Amino acid sequence: MSRPVPEEEYGKRVSGAFKLWMRGVRDPYLGNVEVSPETAGEEDETLLKGYQEETDRMIQRIHDIENNRRYRLFQKFYRAAAAICCLTLVVMLLITVAYLPPVGNADNPAHNEVAAKYIEDGLQDTGAVNIVTGMILDYRAFDTFGESNVLFIATCTVLILMRNDKKEGKGSAEEEERLDSFYEPKDDRILQTVAMILVPFIILFGIYVILNGHLSPGGGFSGGAIIGSALILYLNAFGFEKTERFFTAKTYKIISFSALSFYCIAKSYSFYTGAHHLESGIPLGTPGSILSSGLILPLNICVGLVVACTMYAFFALFRKGGF
Amino acid sequence: MVFEWIRFILGTGLLVVGTVTFLLEIFGVFKFKYVLNRMHVAAMGDTLGISASLAGLMILFGFRFVTLKLALVIIFLWCASPVSSHLISRLEYVTDKNLNEFCEVKTENKGNE
Amino acid sequence: MQIFQYILLVFLIVCAVAVSFSKRLLNSILIFMSYSLVMSIIWILLESPDLAITEAAVGAGVTSLLFFATLKKIHAIREEDEENHEQTGS
Repeated sequence: MSRPVPEEEYGKRVSGAFKLWMRGVRDPYLGNVEVSPETAGEEDETLLKGYQEETDRMIQRIHDIENNRRYRLFQKFYRAAAAICCLTLVVMLLITVAYLPPVGNADNPAHNEVAAKYIEDGLQDTGAVNIVTGMILDYRAFDTFGESNVLFIATCTVLILMRNDKKEGKGSAEEEERLDSFYEPKDDRILQTVAMILVPFIILFGIYVILNGHLSPGGGFSGGAIIGSALILYLNAFGFEKTERFFTAKTYKIISFSALSFYCIAKSYSFYTGAHHLESGIPLGTPGSILSSGLILPLNICVGLVVACTMYAFFALFRKGGF
Repeated sequence: MVFEWIRFILGTGLLVVGTVTFLLEIFGVFKFKYVLNRMHVAAMGDTLGISASLAGLMILFGFRFVTLKLALVIIFLWCASPVSSHLISRLEYVTDKNLNEFCEVKTENKGNE
Repeated sequence: MQIFQYILLVFLIVCAVAVSFSKRLLNSILIFMSYSLVMSIIWILLESPDLAITEAAVGAGVTSLLFFATLKKIHAIREEDEENHEQTGS
């Protein structure tokens, strides 16, 4: 516990003086430091001469480079060396490719017991008809978790780079967006009508792809990308005023954070109980129905939400510097 | 048997028409120099060529679930392709200062943009 | 089908080389889009439709959109346009 210091005594200490200096109340260097007035317009002549000489020398040097024989020789040699290096690399890679085993051969090194295990026991272990989804969201779920986190971190990086916090005046987000899209068609009736018809169907298709990830080709990533592009189309047709009513930075934060943390908790529980489906208490259901394959469906939804929000956030940040 | 032959000939005919339209489109895109002409060629080729070739595929496949999907693809492309060319032409109309050299422009409309 | 695959592979290589050799950034992005589309067809022929869907949605759709937004942000499109006018407008 620190003892309160009276105001006058505090002003005499170093920290107090520094605080007062920062606030502009009392300047300790006032009167101690000599400030000479600027001598403007005296050395103009010599300075200008110096600049002129420098530019002349630079132009001469550039001329030298253009007419220099050694430099030209070097350029020719550079091009020839680049071509030779490229050709050598191409030949080496082609020779290596020629030694690769043929596609689909049973003796290939890729056909080991891991792939056999996945193909044989995939349906019983994960309950997913689509083996690829069973692999990436069950056997190797932490890979997918890392990918989702990479997306989230990428959004954070873009946010740091492109964020525009200025609310009003020159250089603010609205102003920049207005200048950027000055020539773009705004409130285009045809585009708005078509977007009104198409966007719900595109989002529906994305949801279909996400929900059927364990039954048919597709899954969280592709479905999320489809939903994200639908949101981008909506944004292009109707502008930021309409989209900001349902999608802001807060929405993005809540959705991403809850989806990622649910993913983390669910997979941690799964690995805590033995990872290889010893007895986790999660019913696998009958293979082939929508509500089956245990944790894969909710995890797919989580990945889809993160990807859709990330795609939209990227575009909004690039366009306006905020959303 | 005759019905089968008619269907085959109709389907392949439509496919050939679609392919020829695409070839003409590619030729036109490289032949024309101005933006609006090229856009016109591309939009025509897109709508007509894709609809012809997909209709040929639908006839060749017969009535199945795939046919419905192909019809959906046709509807989607007919919505998307004209709108994109409309946006391109509108952007050209707004931004190009020398538009008068290439085509007639009603001046009172230009002022409103 | 084998010949079709070879044609697609040749087109893929041509696209990949053309991306780096085209003078304008806008053209490079368009060629990159077509590269992604051809790649997605090849994924379907290699019997991995999951990757094909993702490639078509991400590679051809969102990535090129982001590239376009970036080009606009750094004002690369408009300047190229002006150069083009100077070349052809005379």
